Amino acid sequence: MRDFADWLSTTDLSLYIQENNAWFIPGIQSLHIIAIGVLMASILLVNLRILGWVSRDQSLLQTTERYAPWMWGALVVLAVSGVLMIVGEPVRELLALSFWVKMSLLAIGIIVAIAFQISLRRHASAWETSLVSRGRIRSAAVITFLVWCGVAIMGRMIAFDGPFWGSLSPSNLI
Amino acid sequence: MDIYEWANQLEQSGLGEWLRSTVRAIPVINSLHVIGLVLVFGTISVVDLRLLGIPSTRRSFKLLAGELLKWTWLAFALAVVTGFLMFTANATTFYDNTQFRIKMVLLVLAGINMLVFELITVRSVHQWDKDQPVPVSAKVAGLLSLVLWMGVIVFGRWVGYTKGAHIDVQSIDFNAINSPFF
Repeated sequence: MRDFADWLSTTDLSLYIQENNAWFIPGIQSLHIIAIGVLMASILLVNLRILGWVSRDQSLLQTTERYAPWMWGALVVLAVSGVLMIVGEPVRELLALSFWVKMSLLAIGIIVAIAFQISLRRHASAWETSLVSRGRIRSAAVITFLVWCGVAIMGRMIAFDGPFWGSLSPSNLI
Repeated sequence: MDIYEWANQLEQSGLGEWLRSTVRAIPVINSLHVIGLVLVFGTISVVDLRLLGIPSTRRSFKLLAGELLKWTWLAFALAVVTGFLMFTANATTFYDNTQFRIKMVLLVLAGINMLVFELITVRSVHQWDKDQPVPVSAKVAGLLSLVLWMGVIVFGRWVGYTKGAHIDVQSIDFNAINSPFF
C-alpha cells in the first residue's frame, strides 16, 4: 500500500493537486462536506419516517422517492471529491486506519441502502402497514443512521489517525 | 470588554488546558462538530429548497419547516457546543484568524436572514403554504440561507488550513503523514 501510495503521489494529477494544495484541498474538502450534509439529511429523514417522527402525511415510499435521488447524487459527488483527495494526498489517506474503517462502514451503509430500496419497491404495502412498526426494522433504522455517522466521523479522523488510534495507526509504524 | 483578553483567559482555563493535553479530545470533538454541521446544513437546505419550489410546492411549507427545523436546532446545538470547545482549546489563535472571523460574520448574517424571514416574510405563509408559488421575498431568504451556510462550511474548513498563521502554507508537505494541518 505504501508503494501504491508513493506511486500515486508521482502521477500528473497528484502533482497538480499538490502544487495547488493551498486552495485545492480545502476547496475539495468543503465540497465533500456540503455533499455529506445532503447525504446525511436524506438518510436521516427517511430513517425518521420509518420511526414515524416526520412526514407522516407522506407514505414511506413517497418519502424515500423524495430523498433517495439526493442521497445517490450526493454519493457520486462524494466519490469524485473523495478520489481527488486520495490522489492529492495518497499517503495521508491510504495509510490511515480511519480511512479503511470508514470504507468498511461505507460498504455496509451502501449495501443496507440498496437492500432497503429494493425491498421497499417490491413490498411497498407491507412496508407501509406492518414493517415500519416492527422493532427490528426500527432498530435497524437507528443503527443504519449511526453507521453513516461513523462514516463521517472516521472520515474526519483521517486527519488525526496517529493520535486517535495510537499504535494501531499505520502512520505510527513508519 | 477586551475580546482578546477574554479569549486568552478562556484558553488558559482548566478546560482549555485539558482539551489541549488530552490526545483524543479534539479529534472526537472535531468529528462530532462535523456531524452537527452537516445535519444543520442538510436539514435546513431541504427547507430552503422548498422555498425555491424544489422539488415542488405540493407539501405544506409550515408542516415541512415545523418538523425539519427541530432537527436543525438540535444539530445546531451540537455544532455550537463542540465548536465552543474547539475554540476554547486555542481561543486566541482562532480570534486572530481571518477565516474564522469571516465564518462568524456569515453565521450572524444567516441568523439575521432567518430572523427577517421568521418575523416578517412568514406572516403571509397562509397565502403560499401549499400548491401556490412562493413569493420572491421568501425565495430570496431560501437562496441566501443556502449560500450563507455553504459559506460557513467553506470558511470553517479553511480555518483548519490557516490557523497556524505563522507557518507558510506553500511550504507544507500536505502529503506527509501527520501533517500539522487538519
